Amino acid sequence: MGTINSAFSVISGALDADQAALSIVANNVANASTPGYTAEVANWQENQPVTINGVSYGDGVTETGATSLRDRVLDERLDQQQQLASSSSARLTALNSVQALFPPDSGSSTATAGDIGSDITSFFASFASLEADPTDDSLRESVLSSASTLAGDISNAASSLNAQGAALNQEVIGVTSQVNSLTTAIARLNQQIQTNSPNSDAGTLEDQRQQDLSQLSQLVGINQVTTQDNGLSVTTTSGQLLVSGNSSFQMTSGTVDGVSHFFVGNTDITAQLATGGGELGGYLTARDQDIPSALSSLDQLAYGISTSVNQLNNAGTDLDGATGTAAAPLDIFSQPTTVAGSAAQMSVVMTDPNQIAAAGLGQGTGDNSNAVAMANLANEPLMPQATTTFSMAQNLDSSTAVGGTVTGSVEIFDSNGQSYDAAVTYTNEGSNTWGYSISVPDTLTADTSVAGQVSYTFGAGETVDPATSLTITGSTAGGGTATITAPAVTAGETVGTAGPPATGYVAALDAQLTAAGITGVTVTGTGGVLTITGATATSGSVIADPVASSNATGTLTFNASGALVTPAANVTGITFSGLSDGADTLNLDWGLYSGSGTSIVTQTAAASSQSAQSQNGSAGANNGETPTDFYSNFVSTLGATVSGVQADNTAQNASVTQLQTQSNALSSVNLNDEASVMSTLQSSYQAASQVFTMLNTIMAAALNLGDQTTVS
Amino acid sequence: MRVDPSYVSNLVGSLDQAQANEQQLTAELSSGVSITSLSQNPVASGENVLLLNQIQQDDSFTQSSSLVTGQLQVADSTLGSVVSQLTQAISLATSANNGTMNASDVQSVGNQISGILDEVESLANTSYQGQYIFAGGQTSTSPFTTSTATSPAVTTYNGDQDVNYLETPNGQKIQLNVPGSQIFQGSGANSVFAALNSLVADYSTGTVNTTQAVSDTEALGTALNFVSQQRVTIDNSITQLTAASDAVTSDQAQLTGAQTNLMQADVAQVSTQLSLSETQQTALEDVISELDSSSNSLFSKLQQ
Repeated sequence: MGTINSAFSVISGALDADQAALSIVANNVANASTPGYTAEVANWQENQPVTINGVSYGDGVTETGATSLRDRVLDERLDQQQQLASSSSARLTALNSVQALFPPDSGSSTATAGDIGSDITSFFASFASLEADPTDDSLRESVLSSASTLAGDISNAASSLNAQGAALNQEVIGVTSQVNSLTTAIARLNQQIQTNSPNSDAGTLEDQRQQDLSQLSQLVGINQVTTQDNGLSVTTTSGQLLVSGNSSFQMTSGTVDGVSHFFVGNTDITAQLATGGGELGGYLTARDQDIPSALSSLDQLAYGISTSVNQLNNAGTDLDGATGTAAAPLDIFSQPTTVAGSAAQMSVVMTDPNQIAAAGLGQGTGDNSNAVAMANLANEPLMPQATTTFSMAQNLDSSTAVGGTVTGSVEIFDSNGQSYDAAVTYTNEGSNTWGYSISVPDTLTADTSVAGQVSYTFGAGETVDPATSLTITGSTAGGGTATITAPAVTAGETVGTAGPPATGYVAALDAQLTAAGITGVTVTGTGGVLTITGATATSGSVIADPVASSNATGTLTFNASGALVTPAANVTGITFSGLSDGADTLNLDWGLYSGSGTSIVTQTAAASSQSAQSQNGSAGANNGETPTDFYSNFVSTLGATVSGVQADNTAQNASVTQLQTQSNALSSVNLNDEASVMSTLQSSYQAASQVFTMLNTIMAAALNLGDQTTVS
Repeated sequence: MRVDPSYVSNLVGSLDQAQANEQQLTAELSSGVSITSLSQNPVASGENVLLLNQIQQDDSFTQSSSLVTGQLQVADSTLGSVVSQLTQAISLATSANNGTMNASDVQSVGNQISGILDEVESLANTSYQGQYIFAGGQTSTSPFTTSTATSPAVTTYNGDQDVNYLETPNGQKIQLNVPGSQIFQGSGANSVFAALNSLVADYSTGTVNTTQAVSDTEALGTALNFVSQQRVTIDNSITQLTAASDAVTSDQAQLTGAQTNLMQADVAQVSTQLSLSETQQTALEDVISELDSSSNSLFSKLQQ
């Protein structure tokens, strides 16, 4: 009887196991379409055999539960690739909107709306047309009309870029709340998994966690680290902790410099997120890199065109015979003060076409020389960005005698791209105090276009710099020659005039010539032009001092350890006007402190030294390109950027698909597999059932001891 | 390795791709343009900007050139009239100088030359579209005025020495005007008005100082030659302008051809690609429909 009972036990165990396995199949089939569900397989375990009189008897099988078909390494690989694909996809969406603002012109007779390239050409071509008849009203009107189209299209494109930047800013804020709800959910699932299944796969709980991780990967770049008890830590790709065990760290957003930044605790992780991947990375790259880059190019274009056209128009004569002055400028475009923002603010301020100065300075209104010059701007390099900030690390030797000076210089550029060595002269005033004076020596070009004559043109208000080293050689009354060197320059000395009585630097030179007995040389000064006639030779440099604003001089004070105390911040608003090349007023900010707030000008008991030089904004900012070349390069570069991101995105998506296929092959429910397993289990169940029936018959026969009626 | 059971979703991805491709090709066919966004061909997009710039510059020059050709032709024709007037004046003066005319005839010649003087002054004050063409840059002021307060009368130039140029797209400068003083008031003996005014004075009384009159007639002859020389400048400009205009038109045609090649869709190629893409789409749809059919599942077979 014992043996029959054992057989019953084995068979009923088999029926239970088959039933449990069928339940797993049923669960798989039911969840075949559930997102994130991982297929499960039954685990079978042989029961401990029973040994009787040294003979082992099998004790059947038990179904011990289900195991999810999961490959953690593959899942993590998929998440990582998903981060890259989401990032490039989000960036591509933003870039497609950007490039839609600059449609390629098909070249058909109907100009493409908003085609800035065509606008630039039309604008300069309108000046070329004006050459034919500079007094023609309709040609003048067409200059203003093409200027309006150009300014309108550039400012519209800039406004649209700004709007796209603002929209992305809103978009990224929305992502933050999604990230936070996912990290919260992952922390909660971590806790449940650690409690319920610290040592083995937690099934659907892990499915949910993996599903959340996958979603999180699409939003931000993350790293996953498995911890004890089946837990998981999540960090950003740069290592900022987002989830640790059952705790999540919320991401917050705040506005910094007008745009949203992201923080975990007090740490600003915006830059890390931008490079980390995920949708947020893509949006941030587009917001902080692609759009500002396109805007900056448009700004340079708008600044260059506005500034150069205005400058030339002010240097000519309009149809009413007028010339632009500071009080009544003949500006065609609103004059930008800084490069940044030039594109958005570009507009035409001239309303009267008569104010277009087609004629050259002092010419009759029928002259077209200035129209020719303005048309030629199309083939000249754009005006470069003027220097706006300069700084240099400088040590001032504390043992310098009171009244002693130290000088440092740095190369800077004006709006015409002219280079200057801006000099800062520090004068020790004792008691840890130094006076400073910033100057921009303007070396004048010698004009020798008229035979026997050399002239130097000073800019408006420029005075003679003491560093002027002019020497003049001329004939003496006795038939020989003599040479004089530049006379000393008094403070603020002007060019002066030949008189009588002669004044300024002209008088000083004249006196020196007379003293040296030179007779054949005359020096004149008219309208700021110093002219030397009759000299046999001249050499050296004539240097002018542009007009400095009051804050170009001041005082520096240092503490006992040599750090700068006052001024407490960088010196801003220094200007130099009257540059001899006619460039706009040079606006400078003098950087005294590094980004971390440390003073870079110090006073210590060591030799004075200038350890670094730097300058922002340079003549090379646009590589000397014409407006059309600049725009052409801009569209090529933008197109190449979009195309590159598109190629990356395609490759990354293909990789995601490949990994997803691998993951699906392992983890998703294959209905055919399930049908096959179900069929096998059904057969097994049926077989066990039949054995059970047979055992039942045998058991009845045994109980009845041959009497068929007692137990059936 | 098991097969990915979600193969249909992969096929749907391919179907999406095929449809996007068809959309792009259809857009190219309908617009006739092969590059509809910068990223399709960044280098060609940049090149297109440069080509269109050159084409437009050429176009603008062609228009300007036809404008100034009118002005130059008026100047040339005016100087032609001046030459014939001066030739007539010389002929009249020569006949008056041969000593065969009586006082009344001489005075008549003087009157005729005076008429020619007025005519030449009027020609020197010719305007084109409201602008005086021999006034240098002072095109709004009548360039020549004559004062009869003295004898001989004095004709004054009120313009300046300004010369305008038209620049061709390749930078060649074509002179558009010759200042009136340079044509009619060349230095010394070359002055048209001085010679004419002197001749009028010579014949005004009827008594001819032959030596003076012959000298003045010769002066007028010299002035006439000088005017003819200045006319050559105008003629040269017309020739240069025509040549430049022809060159620019030819350049423009070449550039337009290059630009069209760059941007225009190749209809035959695009149509073939579209047809291929459509075939691919149909095939994909058939495969999806076959695979997605529930009758293919093993479960459905088990039920049968």
